[in-house]
Amino acid sequence: MIICPNCQHENTNGSVFCAECGEQLDGVETLVTQAITEDQISEDLRNQAPHPEAEATPANSWLSLHLMDSGKIMPLASRNEFTLGRLSEGQPIMPDIDLTAYQAYASGVSRLHAVVKRDESNVVVMDLGSSNGTYLNGRRLTPHTEERLSHGDIVALGKLKIQILLRNI
Amino acid sequence: MSDHLRDYYDLLGLSRDATPEEIKRAYFESAQKLHPDKNKVAGETEIFLNVQQAYETLSNSTRRAQYDATLPPAAQIPSLPYEHKIIYSRRNLGKIDEPQMLYAMLDLDAPQETRRASSSPLNVSLVIDRSTSMQGAKMDTVKATAVQVLRNLRPQDILSMITFSDRAEVVIPAAYHLDRARLESRVQMIQPSGGTEIYQGLEAGAREIMRSLDPKRINHLILLTDGRTYGDEQQSLALAAKLAEQGVGISCMGIGSEWNDIFLDALSTRAGGSTSLIVDPRDINRLLLEKFNALIQTYAEDAVLDVKPVAGVELSRVFRIQPDPAPVSLNEGKFRLGPILQDTSTRVIFEYIIQPTEVQSGELTFMDAALKVTIASHPFPVPPLRLRLLRPVSSPSNPGAPPVEIQQALSRLMLYQMQEQAREELKKGNVEKAARHLERLATNLLTQGERSLAQTVMFEADSIKKNHSLTEEGSKRMKYGTRMLFLAPPKKELAQ
Repeated sequence: MIICPNCQHENTNGSVFCAECGEQLDGVETLVTQAITEDQISEDLRNQAPHPEAEATPANSWLSLHLMDSGKIMPLASRNEFTLGRLSEGQPIMPDIDLTAYQAYASGVSRLHAVVKRDESNVVVMDLGSSNGTYLNGRRLTPHTEERLSHGDIVALGKLKIQILLRNI
Repeated sequence: MSDHLRDYYDLLGLSRDATPEEIKRAYFESAQKLHPDKNKVAGETEIFLNVQQAYETLSNSTRRAQYDATLPPAAQIPSLPYEHKIIYSRRNLGKIDEPQMLYAMLDLDAPQETRRASSSPLNVSLVIDRSTSMQGAKMDTVKATAVQVLRNLRPQDILSMITFSDRAEVVIPAAYHLDRARLESRVQMIQPSGGTEIYQGLEAGAREIMRSLDPKRINHLILLTDGRTYGDEQQSLALAAKLAEQGVGISCMGIGSEWNDIFLDALSTRAGGSTSLIVDPRDINRLLLEKFNALIQTYAEDAVLDVKPVAGVELSRVFRIQPDPAPVSLNEGKFRLGPILQDTSTRVIFEYIIQPTEVQSGELTFMDAALKVTIASHPFPVPPLRLRLLRPVSSPSNPGAPPVEIQQALSRLMLYQMQEQAREELKKGNVEKAARHLERLATNLLTQGERSLAQTVMFEADSIKKNHSLTEEGSKRMKYGTRMLFLAPPKKELAQ
């Protein structure tokens, strides 16, 4: 039996994707917690190519993510919707914004954790059924429900804190 | 291999352990194809005489035994006019005390040298719904496309065209078409009116195909409809099965959202074909021309898999990934895998659930099947390919990651499956579970960059919560939209 690390569904041995939530399961024979060494993390950091979205200049971006632990500010433009999560090797699906480089794994960020999007007047955040939840200014959000964001709000993906900086709206 | 080297089994397309019924059937099929009344190519009469001799020998058990004694040992791998490849999700089975899953993926390809060869002539019947609801853009596009199809026909192709409402009319009878201008004006005169009785249309289309039924042609019926038929579904399905037996394929195209997808899926899969959804009438043109193109590209018109049950092994799912993504269902003990095109592999994935009692040391044969491929351009029947799939048993098991092709196929099959699960839960009345399946599907679609389909799915999840049902349109968009994802290249490649 393979227990899905995302939703705890019990899958038949040999399953490749979780029958319940679609999480990729291959190579996971039993539920084991894998220890990640510092070496591996720094290697991940070295391999991390600069994110294309990060090339947006603050002038044309409608949203910037201020990663509070590292102090880095990531301006985003080009699209009206960004999914946040962390890339995991061998997974055919990936979020728009990969937070691996910001200790996402250690902070409990799901591979596909939340989405931030805008329409004419609002910017909203929605949790995508993540394991550890999304918090808006300390309040846990109901999964799959949109919540309006204001400039300066703090969104936590698990333990990873991100301040939302808005402009031009 | 030259003719005189062929033994009687090769000649009839049989394996050496063929049963008397199989021998009889193979003879009738060959005779139909090669009968002197029909054959045109020099030398076919000689082959026909050989086939008769083969049948006379093999149909009598004494003569067969005598003949068998003279044969050299059978070649291990028969030389086949197509290529096949099988890959597995794992190298071995684990010796464990619980059920385990295994996937196998089968690729069938035309041989390299025939990929550019000229293809078999067509015998196609286009069966068009002309009920009142087709009025307007739908009918205009259908007519324009039909004219285009007529102009694209090669001299050797046979096309018939049927329209139906409460009854059917033959607009163009099955024949070679030289005076195309006259036919075009007939197409232009089609007027929408009346109801939708699909059996009427199918029956008339089948009759036209049968008039020039020829195993050397690609025999195919295309049904275009935008509505539901009432009361004649069973009759239609029986006709489809009969057509499939005669080597006639069926493709269905449903326009808009009012048609019965479950019925059309059943109809087309029964004959190894598939159903497509046409949301926008403007797509009729592209999809219909693509269909004709695929027919012209057909190398083998059918591949049928006859699976023997294996104790403790359940073949839980069969899905064709390409060329036309669709589930393959078991009909009368056989899986119709559909045609093999000249330049696209026919790719099918099999899912097995294996019970622990059967996993002993050594190895386990989890599939025992015979694959029978029908190739129109081939004078001889193709011998069946015995597929005995097995995996070694090891303990402890070392699964390793499945090959990339299987991962990719399953990552999409998972999406299709999620919306199927939502339907099942909804049928059982588990509204919340159904909605949750769709929400998870939407999440997964978003990660794959399929934003518009994800939105449709979210809308349907809301519809389930509010009305405890799916919308007609959204339901079809989800089903055929997730199927179409198999053909799309991944929008975001794996970052390595």
